[in-house]
Amino acid sequence: MVKLTRRRLLLTTGWIAGGATVLYMLRNRAAAVAPTIIFPDSQSAAAWVQIRPDGTCMMYVPRMEMGQNANTGLAQIVAEELNVSIEDIETIQPSTSDVPPLAVTAGSMSLTAFSKPIAVAAATLRESLRAKAAEKLGSPVNDILDDVAGFRTKDNQSVTYATLAADSPLLVELDETAPPPELYTFNPQRMKTHVGHSTKPLGIEAVVTGAPLYAADITMKDVLHGRALRPPVHNAEIETLSTDDVESVPGFLRLVRDDNFVGVVCRTPGSVNAAISKIQVTWKVKQPINQAEIDRLVDVDKALADGDLEHVLHNAEHQSSADWAINLRFDVQVQSHAAQEPRAAIARFNDDHSRHRLEIWTGTQDPWAMKRFAAMHTGLSEDDIVIYPQRMGGGFGGREHYEVEQDAVRLTAAMGRPVKVQWTRKDEFMAARNRPASAHRIRIAINEAGTLTNWWHAYVSGHVVLARERLPGWLLPVARLGEDFGVIRGAHPAYEAPHQRVEYKDVDLPVDLGVWRSLNAAPAIFAIESAMDELALLLGQDPVAYKVSQMRDQVPRLKACLEQVKTMAMQRSLPEQSGYGRGFACGIYEERCFVAVSADVYVDREKGEIKVLHMCCAQDVGMAVNPDQLSAQMESNMAWSVGMALIERLEVADDNITSSNFDNYPIVRMAEMPSIDTKVIDQPTIPPAGAGEVALIAGPPAIANAIRRATGFRAQRLPIRFEDIDGNTG
Amino acid sequence: MKLNINGIDYHVDSDWQNESLLDVLRDHLGMTGTHFSCGIGQCGACLVHVDNEPTTSCITPVSMAEGKEILTIEGLASDDGTLHPLQQAWIDEAVPQCGFCQSGQIMRALGLLQETPDPDDADIDQAMNGNLCRCGTYPRIRKSIKKAALVLREAS
Repeated sequence: MVKLTRRRLLLTTGWIAGGATVLYMLRNRAAAVAPTIIFPDSQSAAAWVQIRPDGTCMMYVPRMEMGQNANTGLAQIVAEELNVSIEDIETIQPSTSDVPPLAVTAGSMSLTAFSKPIAVAAATLRESLRAKAAEKLGSPVNDILDDVAGFRTKDNQSVTYATLAADSPLLVELDETAPPPELYTFNPQRMKTHVGHSTKPLGIEAVVTGAPLYAADITMKDVLHGRALRPPVHNAEIETLSTDDVESVPGFLRLVRDDNFVGVVCRTPGSVNAAISKIQVTWKVKQPINQAEIDRLVDVDKALADGDLEHVLHNAEHQSSADWAINLRFDVQVQSHAAQEPRAAIARFNDDHSRHRLEIWTGTQDPWAMKRFAAMHTGLSEDDIVIYPQRMGGGFGGREHYEVEQDAVRLTAAMGRPVKVQWTRKDEFMAARNRPASAHRIRIAINEAGTLTNWWHAYVSGHVVLARERLPGWLLPVARLGEDFGVIRGAHPAYEAPHQRVEYKDVDLPVDLGVWRSLNAAPAIFAIESAMDELALLLGQDPVAYKVSQMRDQVPRLKACLEQVKTMAMQRSLPEQSGYGRGFACGIYEERCFVAVSADVYVDREKGEIKVLHMCCAQDVGMAVNPDQLSAQMESNMAWSVGMALIERLEVADDNITSSNFDNYPIVRMAEMPSIDTKVIDQPTIPPAGAGEVALIAGPPAIANAIRRATGFRAQRLPIRFEDIDGNTG
Repeated sequence: MKLNINGIDYHVDSDWQNESLLDVLRDHLGMTGTHFSCGIGQCGACLVHVDNEPTTSCITPVSMAEGKEILTIEGLASDDGTLHPLQQAWIDEAVPQCGFCQSGQIMRALGLLQETPDPDDADIDQAMNGNLCRCGTYPRIRKSIKKAALVLREAS
């Protein structure tokens, strides 16, 4: 096998994508991805895109699939550059031994970071093939025109990739000194065949026919079944443990105990459930786990009373006292990922002569991190370990940790036989690295014309990427001197004011924390957009027109989204009766994605319920590679918006996580789902950015603003319950 | 013990006769298209038909399915590979995101269309409300059910 080092790959392509192994490298975002093209050298697995000797195209899809369908967009780009049909591209999810390390699939970065390198790779391949075609046909390169899966000349001589590939092997490397090939994907004048079209997601037929796709679908001869006890938080320790009755369970094989790890291995999944239920355990936790404790820790007013907050994001001629037109506090609660698939993994150890001593099948956002962790855990070298990443039944930021994999490795090592570990729904809630609670105090002052003069947003949040479970203890204090990029996300307002201060403090909460869809952006923008809506009401102005008038100059794309969504919303009339209301909100994600949402709600006082009737969403994330999949992500984010605004809160009590299933952590159901109109604003000249978590920033405040207009009640705490409204408005 | 699944008889080993129908399907017989998600019959990811009745297999002891006709997602397409109109509609509307709940959604929709060939929104809400989709694909599921219903009505 040809081995290409990461460094060499970076050098040969000149392309570095961000966001990789943050777990290890913290703020150094250098570890990255890079494509190379090797043609048609079947020895090399380092290539992402190959034309095989038979002329077919093979593509290692570089993203971990969890519903975002980013690989579909990347395959469309390859098809566009190579003039082949999507069906003729064989897409393969690579193992960690097939390609050099790929960045974690997270942060809606896939299209941002991967679209250009993959276009360059495919276009370079195309142009090298064109040169070969010129040679073969005896024509100047300029006379060689594109054809489907090949080339032709003006006088209609043609040659296919298959013919060219059947020649001698050719290694194609990118030459940084040469001008880059023309990228069809990024040429706005070009009539495109694939990019900009709503290609069906890769693998969709496998999904609807029930083909094996997910980690737990792996079948293996002689596999055993096992599971470990999960503590309510990762730093909990076993206080009392009784395993006396476990051996009486039919099918029970072994109890594996190692400090705070207690696992069982049995012949069948049912016997695992029975064995686990026989074990009595109590956990000792380091911080009391209950809602009052969480509320106390994020109390922003108490923190402000103690002085300036620890981190200052923006400070422009700040004034600590002014005639505040708005002075409101907003609280957001802990939410869990609750992906539909509970995690599962299978591990297998092989003898010394095998290519890999340890194999792990799992669904993970970061397979190369799993490999490193497994190496540290087992003492094997990284070269001895392979991860076979499987499709995930939802990720949402929660599947980056070596956990279910670790359980499988421990139990497999103890048994000397492969063990499949299938977490339960309760395990999922216990293990989740949740979105932290946060509390926001927003103060806004205006002049006589209603123009913003002062903006002061102070907030306290639990940690996100610097959560205590994510880093070694010795590193935490140092790391936390810097900013937590999860906690700061979304705090930079879209609005302009001459006096401005944005400050925050991040704290340890008693529950485990981590990355959750949109990180802090949804909570922060819920607070910001609620405050701005209240200000528009106070001034008696139309909220859309008022917000547009106060935006920073450099965000015309946001204005366009907000105006677009207003037009969409106006196409439906809302009953004039009390109880009905329409709200608007907008936001910027990572300074490159723009979104606006409207929500129509009905607060039904007879039934005692809040119903979101309809939502509109307009979004601009640059070039729309696959408009229908962008819409799909907007729809998904609207579902999560209803959940965040009205339904979801992780329940905790008595030093435990008491949410354990969908009965006590409900998520949106069919009957609660509003109808949705979406509008994709295409920007053919702007490189595509990701859309997986963008619209969630504007959905919850749109719903809250609609409730304000329906009832007069300004929601200052999510999730909003019907009882909150009655309590405040009589 | 024997199980009739998608028209074929399967032998269930003695070790597995006290398991749930779901675990037998998945881990004993290797039919993994039916998924485990909540384990308490509340999300519908494990939905199969037992004698034409939509059934959450995660809370159904395998013994209760003995002697009955079990239909799973793997048995929905025709023998020649032609997809069921529901599966085709799911593709046409690009319903799946993560996809994990979708075999259960399709099997529940099949039950709905057997009872109600021309469902309105309220029928769909009622029938599908027990099938959770964390990705929020509900609007597309709704559209696909109506589309497949039309195809099935026209065919009959």
